[in-house]
Amino acid sequence: MKRYELIVIGAGPAGLSAAIEAARAGMQTIVFDENAKPGGQLFKQIHKFFGSKEHKAKIRGYDIGDDLLREAEALGVKVVLNATVVGIYEGKEITVMIGDGITHYKGDAVIVATGASENMVTFPGWTLPGVIGAGAAQTMMNLHGIKPGHRVLMLGTGNVGLVVSYQLLQAGCEVVCLVDAAKRVGGYGVHASKVTRTGVPFYLGHTIKAIEGDGKVEKVTIAALDDTWAFIEGSDMTFEVDTVCLAVGLSPMSQLTKTAGCDMMANVPVTNGYGETSVPGIYAAGDVSGIEEASSAMIEGRIAGADAAYQAGYLTEVAFKTIVEANEASLDQLRQGMFGPDERGKVQTTTDEGIALSTTLLEKGYLAENEIGYFPGVETRQKGIYPVIECTQNIPCNPCQDACVKGCISIGDKITSLPVVGENIDCTGCGLCVASCSGQSIFLIEEKAEENIAYVSMPYEFLPLPERGDRGLALNRSGEVVCETEIIKLRSSKAMDKTNILTIKVPLDMAMKARFFKPLTEGGAKNA
Amino acid sequence: MHKRLDRSIDLGPYVAGPDDDMIICRCEEITKGEIRKAVHEGMFTTTEIRRFLRTGMGLCQGQTCGNLVRRIVATELGVSVGEIEYAVARAPFRPIAMKTLANEVEEG
Repeated sequence: MKRYELIVIGAGPAGLSAAIEAARAGMQTIVFDENAKPGGQLFKQIHKFFGSKEHKAKIRGYDIGDDLLREAEALGVKVVLNATVVGIYEGKEITVMIGDGITHYKGDAVIVATGASENMVTFPGWTLPGVIGAGAAQTMMNLHGIKPGHRVLMLGTGNVGLVVSYQLLQAGCEVVCLVDAAKRVGGYGVHASKVTRTGVPFYLGHTIKAIEGDGKVEKVTIAALDDTWAFIEGSDMTFEVDTVCLAVGLSPMSQLTKTAGCDMMANVPVTNGYGETSVPGIYAAGDVSGIEEASSAMIEGRIAGADAAYQAGYLTEVAFKTIVEANEASLDQLRQGMFGPDERGKVQTTTDEGIALSTTLLEKGYLAENEIGYFPGVETRQKGIYPVIECTQNIPCNPCQDACVKGCISIGDKITSLPVVGENIDCTGCGLCVASCSGQSIFLIEEKAEENIAYVSMPYEFLPLPERGDRGLALNRSGEVVCETEIIKLRSSKAMDKTNILTIKVPLDMAMKARFFKPLTEGGAKNA
Repeated sequence: MHKRLDRSIDLGPYVAGPDDDMIICRCEEITKGEIRKAVHEGMFTTTEIRRFLRTGMGLCQGQTCGNLVRRIVATELGVSVGEIEYAVARAPFRPIAMKTLANEVEEG
């Protein structure tokens, strides 16, 4: 039986980060993953991450995955793929299925970073082919380049439901609507807005009643729910779709910690501040120790890896504390804001700044025109070019602040504060802020660019890219057509990392309305 | 860990539901009605239901239906889902051929 100083189970963001931190301290580390590819969910995450620089904000998930793999490799971490841990026994001994054999390994420490699996909900027809998890849809599209379906209904408006809906649109699928039993959109308003502005309706306070079809999904009926969660009679709506995506939460895959005898709280292993479970030397990090997201999983992994290295004598107390303090501060930042773990289940009405939250955004997924002017990122000015930041909820994210070399945008030290556009700004219209915004919520407005004409620049991540001179329709935040338009500029650069900036020409009174471009010809955002 | 459930509670007669034929455990093809009936026959815990019906004993090892079964049992018993234990986990955690399980190899 081979002994390793550290065995990490799971090569996702938490596991790789744990391995990196431990190996950097000098620990002999091996990582097992049952999948054929490492990275866990990271390589499916084609969107830009939130947070600050140290959280790798505005970097796309797959690039973060590449960075982690390179770092792990450089440090001599052994990553074994297609290696399924099938058992865990006394003395931190594990059995791993590799090929058609079982190999025993013993770790001085074991870090369990096995992640989570998707929850399902039941309704008549839920087992029909075509009903899939949102994560499965993401795997098909983003890892294998396969469209999961043509017409899709998404159940769930948490960040997974919102992000995957947008990615389905990018893949060329038609998303007929998003449905959620809750009365408020569960995920970030900016993620919701990206979807609504393309013309996809949200039905909150609704859920799926039944799915019908002959051997596969053909149509789905949704209905409104009353306060007792019973269907309201007469509220049925039927959609013809071939795919239903379920994005209704995740459950930790915590079998290993349970079997190892770790104290559990419901389905989650209880850990101390460093990720160690009640069994000394066995750690849990990432989603298995409580569902959050990849950015926090990476930090939890680093802390667990550092603790394992410290306990093995590879780090001095001072070095260990330095690592932990930096990571804890970083983790604390990510957990701030209206979507932080402490705020779950609370109904918020105002931002930290005391501004009333947009109720349309919470209930329908877009900002209403009359609500926009209250936010500090939105100030119209009649002349010159200026950014309009439609970021209205306290979320931990600040790349826009660093993006502007002219210092037009400020968030301050508190990462969740709303971005403020200064009064006397010197905007050059470079567009770097637009591309830096992971929530795609920054627009550049140039009023009176021509007589009675305004230019609106917007982030655009659909293929095929339209060209300068292409004509199309301008859509407002709710996805309604507001006017005809023409593309006058299209910018992309390496620094913008695949977020293109499209500048369209609209009548002056449409400057604060037009927020999406729908090409007149086939292709591009088909759903719009 | 789980609270011992009161075995003397009167569940009343079993009333068939409109969605009783809905499959809950896909791997073992167990329906909602079968789970509900099992509760009326005295299976009050996840472990009992599992051994009685084989829910969660298939390919996915209950990763999909585990919570669905817990919720059905809780509703039937009129208790909150938190009162129903999670399934016990034990090796092997993933489906494995017996010949593989028996084929122990040293790290090469």
